[in-house]
Amino acid sequence: MRVTKGARIVAGAALLAVAVAACGSGASGGGDSAGGSADTPVRMRIGEPQELLNPQNTTETEGAEVLGAIFDPLVSYDENKQPVEEAAESITTEDSKVWTIKLKSGYTWHDGTPVTAADYARAWNYAALQDNAMSSSYFFGRIDGYEDVHPGEGKTPTAKEMKGIKVVDDQTFEVTLSAPFSQFKTMLGYTAFYPMPESAIGPDGKVTQAYGEKPIGQGLFKLDKPYKKGTDTTLDLTVYDKFPGEKPKNWTKLQFKVYTSSETAWNDLQADNLDIHDQLPATAISTAKATLGDRYHDEPDAAVAYIGVPLAYNKEFDNVDVRKAISMAIDRKTITETVFSGTTSPADDFINPAIPGYRQGACTACAYNPAEAKKLYEAAGGPKSIELGYNADGGHKEWIEAVANNLRANLGIEVSPTPFEKFQGILDALDAKEYKGLFRMGWSIDYPSAENYLTPIFGTGSIGTGSNYGGYSNKEFDELVAKGDQALDAAEGLKYYQQADDILLKELPYIPVYFYRAVYANSSKVKNVKLNLLKQIEWADVEKA
Amino acid sequence: MSNPTPPVGPGLPETQTMVSDTVTAPAPERQGRHAKKSGKPASLWTDAWYDLRRRPTFIISMIIIVVLLVMSIWPSLFTSIDPFNARSCDLATARQGPSAGHVFGRDNLGCDLYARTVYGARNSIVIGVLTTVLTTVIGGLLGIIAGYRSGIVDTVASRITEIFFAIPSILGALLIAATFRGQYNSILLVIIALSVLGWPMVYRIMRAAVITAKSQDFVVAAKALGAGSGRIMFRHLLPNSLASVIVVGTINLGNFIAAEAALSFLGVGVQSPDISWGLMIADARNRFLEAPLPLVIPAVFLSITVLAFIMLGDAVRDALDPKLR
Repeated sequence: MRVTKGARIVAGAALLAVAVAACGSGASGGGDSAGGSADTPVRMRIGEPQELLNPQNTTETEGAEVLGAIFDPLVSYDENKQPVEEAAESITTEDSKVWTIKLKSGYTWHDGTPVTAADYARAWNYAALQDNAMSSSYFFGRIDGYEDVHPGEGKTPTAKEMKGIKVVDDQTFEVTLSAPFSQFKTMLGYTAFYPMPESAIGPDGKVTQAYGEKPIGQGLFKLDKPYKKGTDTTLDLTVYDKFPGEKPKNWTKLQFKVYTSSETAWNDLQADNLDIHDQLPATAISTAKATLGDRYHDEPDAAVAYIGVPLAYNKEFDNVDVRKAISMAIDRKTITETVFSGTTSPADDFINPAIPGYRQGACTACAYNPAEAKKLYEAAGGPKSIELGYNADGGHKEWIEAVANNLRANLGIEVSPTPFEKFQGILDALDAKEYKGLFRMGWSIDYPSAENYLTPIFGTGSIGTGSNYGGYSNKEFDELVAKGDQALDAAEGLKYYQQADDILLKELPYIPVYFYRAVYANSSKVKNVKLNLLKQIEWADVEKA
Repeated sequence: MSNPTPPVGPGLPETQTMVSDTVTAPAPERQGRHAKKSGKPASLWTDAWYDLRRRPTFIISMIIIVVLLVMSIWPSLFTSIDPFNARSCDLATARQGPSAGHVFGRDNLGCDLYARTVYGARNSIVIGVLTTVLTTVIGGLLGIIAGYRSGIVDTVASRITEIFFAIPSILGALLIAATFRGQYNSILLVIIALSVLGWPMVYRIMRAAVITAKSQDFVVAAKALGAGSGRIMFRHLLPNSLASVIVVGTINLGNFIAAEAALSFLGVGVQSPDISWGLMIADARNRFLEAPLPLVIPAVFLSITVLAFIMLGDAVRDALDPKLR
């Protein structure tokens, strides 16, 4: 459930950005001359990770970025968005139900011990077990025996381990799903599926605080010292010598710098005090395009932004015509052009264009039609005043205000944009019944499959455990998604997913507003910076200029 | 106000004459300087008014303030565009420069900048005036009681005031506004947040003025004639201590308007869809380099307003202070 916390492209709060930037340049200028170029780390911007650095408890982009450098996933994705084996030697199945995963030899943990199949079983069982309250637990819901370890709130697990995971030997394990799932291999690139060393578990059977601060991985980089969340502003990493995969050519040190403001980071990048900025603020786009040349990158990004509808909390939005009218009253094209300076594109499907399965113009109610919207809204008796909640830490204010203006002007209703400090605040307020308005919602994929835009956000099973925050539930939709999951080949699966998508387009449980684009930049000190499908940097390719 | 709290011992005899060095020593017995025409002794107020009318700073600041007041009461006199009507905004024209019908151009959401700025005056003025009234009432009342009673009442009140004084006002207001945000009307919340920490200043001025005034002969005389505490406080001490409080109040009004803008800028003050200059500045700051006007215009209005009130306060102080004449 990777909810995009900050818009990739939009600004965070930039208090005193200029002053901070000025301080920054002084400090690191001094560091450069003292350290010499070989030891200067490659520096990348991140936001503060939400949790300690435990892959099984990390479901947001910032922590995942760090963990992506420390761990090596089972699969990565090629140019055609297809999964290819990375830490796995082979991943095979005959019926999409029983999957045999063979590991590549040569992988060792950063403490020198070899990585075995048991380390994967340990991690996955730990994540799934309800008592451990890991945020990634729902990823394992398809594995046979998940119900025993995660029976749901209020019930006690009857087993500690899922019966669907069998360790065959040191290099091989077998995963049995409760039902065939054609996209299982695609899922395995995600953070939640990283292995976990034996040393991570403390005497009480839980992951230790020390591991969360300094996770021992099996990836390209190891963390130099424990990360104290909230106090440390940098995370320093060094290339792990015994990493069997490809390593960066001419550098060994990596540094993540924690920023609270996208603008401050942008100022640092311009001054060469930061090397990689993966979320340029909208306000920087025109300057960045003009001044950075080939150091400016603009690619389709698989994330979608919606206006969420609290169907389970507020009966006023029950009538589908109300939701349709709201959707038709939003001028997506102008918003993407003006507020985002063209760094997003108007949404016209629930599936993003970066992923196979997208159909252009599929969402007919996403076309701007103010006259029809007003007629529909009045006929359906939509509420006279609407609240529009958003998290104030991600730079969403401007587009939410623009949507509010659209609704006010086109539907003739009162709209109050309501800022919440964090996205979680909206969910808490919804749960506590203190708030029952619409809310801003974003979704960045966990694995590149059309299915990822459906089940986690709209599936009945994702209410409470997944990211189905609106509480939408439709039996027909659930069945179609299940059919797609059970298909034996990808093309057939996609057909069912698209049929499920059709139901969403008809019912609009959320209102898609725009598709993200990945707009990022690098400093003049590095080159060959590329984002992968999960929006993480391909570190081995990065070179110092 | 070089010495706002002259040391007064609890047991000080009331007949002792105090040497006053506060700026506002009232001169009820004095022959007014400009009173020759009528032949009667002019009061401090007549005197001050005569003086004020000749001061260009007073005239200029009053003109600005009157315009602002009219603007906040009838904004529609200044612009035909209603910024609360979303139809007046057109996102496609966002950040356009000045054009016919839109003298300052459009803001980031394509709304008319001039109309928004004009309508923004109301919240600034309302918050400034109400906060000033509230702080003056609280601070003034406590000050007059503490100054007149002295002794334990004064000690307790002064210590409490010092506690409030010790809290950095913008930080305290930020805390209050952020804690109760969403539970109350945002404008009311700003007024309360600013008032809670704004009154000690008025208290000190009032207390000092009352201590000075109460040792004057006419107070002693009133007491000798058997006037009660209430009568002495409100009929004799209050009118003679009011001058300095008015000066502080006027200057504070400007400061409160600036503080409101600061709170709104930080996101805890006035909330959208209400309009406030601080909010407008906050919304425009990210795109300042691209489109400077949406930030500059409300900032200029804010500066002029604050300046006008501070200038007025200065002029009134000069007029009321006989020593500065």
